Amino acid sequence: MSVEFKTVLTPPPHVKSALDVPQVMTHVFLALLPATFWGMAFFGYRLTLGPIVLSLLSCLGFEALDCFLFRKPLSLGDRSALVTGLLLGLSFPPGVPFWLPIVGGGTAIILGKQMFGGLGQNIFNPALVGRAVLFLSWPGLMSTYVVRNVWTLSKSGEVVSSLWEVVTTATPLGISKMQGYQALAHLEPRILWRLFWGTVPGCIGEISAFLLLCGFAYLLWRKIVRWDIPVFYFLGIALVAVLARQNPLYHLLAGSAILGGCFMATDYTTSPMTPKGRMIFGFFAGMITGMIRWLGGYQEGVTFGILIMNAVVPFLDRLLPRRFGVKKI
Amino acid sequence: MKLRTFPQGVFLSPAKELTAHRSIVEIGSPPKVVLPLWQHTGAPLEPLVKRGDVVKKGQKVADVEAFIAAPLHASISGKVTAIEEWWHPSMGKFRAIVIENDGQEEVERREPLPKDIENLDSLFLRKWIREGGMVGLGGAAFPTHVKVSPPAGKIIDTVILNGAECEPYLTCDHRVMVERPDTVLLGLRILVRACGAKRAYIGIEENKEECLTLFAKLVKYMSIPTEVVPLATKYPQGSEKQIILAILGREVPPGGLPLDVGVVVNNVQTASAIGRMAEEGMPLVERVITVSGECIQTPGNLEVPLGTVLEGIVAFCGGFVKTPQKIIMGGPMTGIAQSSLQVPVIKGTSGFLFFSRPYEKKEYPCIRCGRCVDGCPMFLLPYHLARLAEFQAFLEAEEHRVLDCMECGVCSYVCPAGIPLTQFIKLAKAEIIRRKKGGVTR
Repeated sequence: MSVEFKTVLTPPPHVKSALDVPQVMTHVFLALLPATFWGMAFFGYRLTLGPIVLSLLSCLGFEALDCFLFRKPLSLGDRSALVTGLLLGLSFPPGVPFWLPIVGGGTAIILGKQMFGGLGQNIFNPALVGRAVLFLSWPGLMSTYVVRNVWTLSKSGEVVSSLWEVVTTATPLGISKMQGYQALAHLEPRILWRLFWGTVPGCIGEISAFLLLCGFAYLLWRKIVRWDIPVFYFLGIALVAVLARQNPLYHLLAGSAILGGCFMATDYTTSPMTPKGRMIFGFFAGMITGMIRWLGGYQEGVTFGILIMNAVVPFLDRLLPRRFGVKKI
Repeated sequence: MKLRTFPQGVFLSPAKELTAHRSIVEIGSPPKVVLPLWQHTGAPLEPLVKRGDVVKKGQKVADVEAFIAAPLHASISGKVTAIEEWWHPSMGKFRAIVIENDGQEEVERREPLPKDIENLDSLFLRKWIREGGMVGLGGAAFPTHVKVSPPAGKIIDTVILNGAECEPYLTCDHRVMVERPDTVLLGLRILVRACGAKRAYIGIEENKEECLTLFAKLVKYMSIPTEVVPLATKYPQGSEKQIILAILGREVPPGGLPLDVGVVVNNVQTASAIGRMAEEGMPLVERVITVSGECIQTPGNLEVPLGTVLEGIVAFCGGFVKTPQKIIMGGPMTGIAQSSLQVPVIKGTSGFLFFSRPYEKKEYPCIRCGRCVDGCPMFLLPYHLARLAEFQAFLEAEEHRVLDCMECGVCSYVCPAGIPLTQFIKLAKAEIIRRKKGGVTR
């Protein structure tokens, strides 16, 4: 028998799991879509489509530009810029000017990711870097919330567009920051249910706790993310809420707690590698979020809570797991 | 049924349906066998025959003084035509004894072992096992007599028979358990007696249900307390340290051996070979291998004389239906890719797989997903060790326990970025060991 063929010589293992990086990114993107569509439906596509699409295009465009300028192979194929773009787009209040998502996308991709060496090298979550920079640079634009008149919580809104009856309004967190949770509960007794289903003013993608949790359940089912970071993140928030004598459930449902805990704190690259590290990371990110809401000057603390803990990740990664064969002390 | 297992690891698609139902087929004496002088973990052998010698099947043809070594026996009767460099499945090329079949079928047997094994002397049994050329037939090929000889001060209380067969595709152990359970149990009794243990366990993954029910019935008649333990079908369940942890809850210390926790682990096929030698007086001259993969005409479980050249096995299986792009000796997780059909079957050959695709994956930068950390059965940080190896930071890699790695391949398997983590870690291990010994080692 003289069969002529050449074989491939590679080291074991000779089989590999089917999941690859673009698929991971696609799953996260898909998991965010229900909340995205709900935000578009609730606020109207005129106010929301622009920020989301521009944010996506800006992230993709700036990544391509960076690859071109620094003569690197085009890295859009890993699809991570899509996830960053969508997360950033969901963090805008509806109706922001068109240039804001463009600047935000550039900041997120260039400053947040590519300057560190690209995918997997960044210390801070790129979408949150974009959000933080915009928030600090244009606080007015980033915290002007509009909503259709029927859904407003406070009566003080100024009419932005009579055609859509859109008015500027305060978010639940804004009201409770200024007047306390009791005042908010007095204003709207069904506030927890409205937060759960997502019929409150807020950022485009953060409002529906229910749909965000559905997306997270999808990621758990596809084994893309683990449960530990969100659970410890929520524990941290709840603990501070209890200390502050406020309703913990309200603090979990309000603002971007679920969007941040389930989709931003769980970002692989900027969260710890070990179970122990992830618990500490999630818990303290939650604590800081709660502390900012309770004691800080801002009404929302998700962005900085997670960003601060991102900075601690290299340290947390030094926590080695227990050594096999050495008994627990 | 309560399944026992170890922490972490990974669930693989078993891919055993190609051959699991196929009975063991003897391929008979080939026209030529090639017996490399490196068959096992330990010292290489020295030939006891020279070119032109006529040897009988079962005759010892190579041995060495070293303790960690097992002799080699002719697997056919014939004439030694050469002692020369030949393709070796894991060493590239190595010196081998080539024997041409003379068709005489002459056999050199030993006395069968007396039936009352429990009254035999363990020192005698250890020597008898060594003389039979017995090594672990699971793949690592560690000499069996070394395993059952605890150094002074160490006591072995338990023997574990490893029937996990956690590598995908391979079914040779499965078939041995189904078709030769009595020989397996006889071998187990000899092993228990040789090391002075008090009890035995047989660990079998739950996907081999027929083996579990069969052995659960048979162990009732064992003269020593023996328990059949159903294990979860999870990789690497058949790894020594993992199967001990699953069955006994004991962890082998870093750098240690199973006997440090009073255990000896042996593959079911090793036990079967020992049992067979006790009955028939024939040392280890043949073994059961699995031939599988989508390229082979008739996949199956074959009993082949050691030294049979792969070409002959392929021909016996009806040749290829597709051109193989990858040929693997062993399982897909730890097996070694082959470049030639001239490689012979050695004692550690558990099978040959023929794949039409190389199964490679596009590589991306590490996204720090942590799947390697969650999968590592030795609780290591593969992403970190691989990076240290890449930067040649070997001292730091050693501090981070790189030598604890057993190269199971889980990290490379799960990595969504397709990074060859296991390969980087192997590199670091080899370099650290080389520096420690101050020379090139294998």
